[in-house]
Amino acid sequence: MVIRRLVGHWQGVVLSLIGLIATIWLGLTGQLALYIHPRYFVFTIVMAVIAAVLALAAFALDPATPATPNEHDHEREHDHDHAGERGSRWGWLWPLGSVLTVIAAVVALLILPPSTLTTATVAQRDLNGSASALTLKAPALPSKGDYSAFTVRDWASLLRSGAGQDFFADKTAAVTGFITPDKTDPNVFFVARFVVTCCAVDAQPIGIPVYHPGWQNEYKTDSWVTISSGFRANPNPGSREAIVLIPDSITPTTQPAQPYVY
Amino acid sequence: MTLPAIDKRDLPTHEHRSRARASVSKSAAGLAVGLAIVALFTVVRVLAPPASATFGLPDAARDFATLSISVAVESLPFVFLGIVLSIAVQVWLPEGMLLRRLPRSPVLRRLVLSLLGMLLPVCECGNVPLARGLVVKGLTVAESMTFLFAAPILNPVTIVTTAQAFGWDNGILVSRVLGGFFIANLVGWIYSRHPRPQDLLTAGFQETCTLADRHGGPAGRVRRSVQMFSQETRAMMPALFIGAGMAGLIQVAVSREVLVTLGGNPVWSVLALMLLAFVVAICSNVDAFFILSFGATFMPGGIVAFLVFGPMIDVKMLALMRTTFTAKTLLQLSLLVALCAAVLGLAVNYGH
Repeated sequence: MVIRRLVGHWQGVVLSLIGLIATIWLGLTGQLALYIHPRYFVFTIVMAVIAAVLALAAFALDPATPATPNEHDHEREHDHDHAGERGSRWGWLWPLGSVLTVIAAVVALLILPPSTLTTATVAQRDLNGSASALTLKAPALPSKGDYSAFTVRDWASLLRSGAGQDFFADKTAAVTGFITPDKTDPNVFFVARFVVTCCAVDAQPIGIPVYHPGWQNEYKTDSWVTISSGFRANPNPGSREAIVLIPDSITPTTQPAQPYVY
Repeated sequence: MTLPAIDKRDLPTHEHRSRARASVSKSAAGLAVGLAIVALFTVVRVLAPPASATFGLPDAARDFATLSISVAVESLPFVFLGIVLSIAVQVWLPEGMLLRRLPRSPVLRRLVLSLLGMLLPVCECGNVPLARGLVVKGLTVAESMTFLFAAPILNPVTIVTTAQAFGWDNGILVSRVLGGFFIANLVGWIYSRHPRPQDLLTAGFQETCTLADRHGGPAGRVRRSVQMFSQETRAMMPALFIGAGMAGLIQVAVSREVLVTLGGNPVWSVLALMLLAFVVAICSNVDAFFILSFGATFMPGGIVAFLVFGPMIDVKMLALMRTTFTAKTLLQLSLLVALCAAVLGLAVNYGH
């Protein structure tokens, strides 16, 4: 009974603290961008600090043992919340579920190292499949023909917009992304990024096709590379991608601080 | 006659003083426990293996964790914003300030009540205790239903997050707001015609909701604020974390073909997402972020049905509302709201 009451009483505050400490730590170590859009950084951190203060106040001012009439009422109301579980044969499942939730939260938020999405999610969501991710921000074409600032997203938008081979003939792309395989053509991989609107759960993969036979032997899927190359017609006319990068060199690199594009 | 009166006044002071001393030391002990837990969690987080360690987890498992964590991290600040604001309104605003100004006509009263959420930007789980309190203060049962169903949708936090997720101009936000407003008022109108509204309520309700505000004074208010915080997190955090886990799991586990097939069909997209809304029981403040990932595969009507049905009826809401309404009432309410939401979703799909 005591354990059940303690678990029932504290699980909300303890779960809050797990989430808050994880959030603040991600913010301090500059890793919040792995999960949410940068426009929420300040709001998220401010609310996390406010909530952490309230959670600590809850430890000081809202004890689990009923001592005054005030707290007694409060406990009674809590009991009402769980009236359904009380006294039934399966009543013990309730605190067990609470403990499992806390353990899962600790493992996910406090023990697992933060990481980006991988090719598993690219396969689950069509690469270059979401119209909105690409057309949302059509790149303005630079007047002087300087395309060095163009990202994976800009080039992918242009490729998808149906610009012809003539347009790409004299252009050079210098982009960084992670490697993800083409489902149909083993000679082609994509240098890809995720476009994030709010948080990682809505991430849509985009990418530029790169023609490089035997890439599987040189590079690992999901490893990050920088590629500087011109666009050419795909030597394999049967491939779905008509225009590809055919780089002379591919430079392995580390994952950038902001792995997603916005 | 006077002596006992003095005695009565004297005794509590002594008792009060010793009780106050005991409560100060208890507060200090509680705070120490809290700080110890914070320190423990911080140490675990800082000493946990670096980013390069993957524990040999397959990609899908890592992505499941990443997706779930992102839903949780994105939602947390909004949930806490809702809790803080609901504390401010329930504890710090003068009592009766909101109810006294309602118009007399029943229809107008319900219209105004359905907009009350604009001032009380809490999500649905916070609304149930609030609605109970309002009934005690003189609201009719039908009016409390209108408030209960409208407030989670017609509130600034929900509108802002929906706008952040879907933008202003594609009809999803407008359909959600107008649909929620209409359904809440329809339900209120139907139940206002019930001959014996008291029968809709559970027997234990009168007793439960008598714990209205009794503690004046700033100290009492601080304590009540903190208790409300702990109470609200108790109801919302498990639902939020489990909801985040389910969101991640569905993204990774349900095959893309199934989602695309369901989502592309005007009828199935609506029914599938309503079922999802019922099961995941995610808060209205943040459900737009949750469903955003389905935006690419599901038709807009399905999204609207999810965003309208979820805040009104889901497993968590039924559990919370069972403290107030009878099972039969809840069954009727669920069917009525589900029907309305489905019609709305289909109208959006076929009208598009």
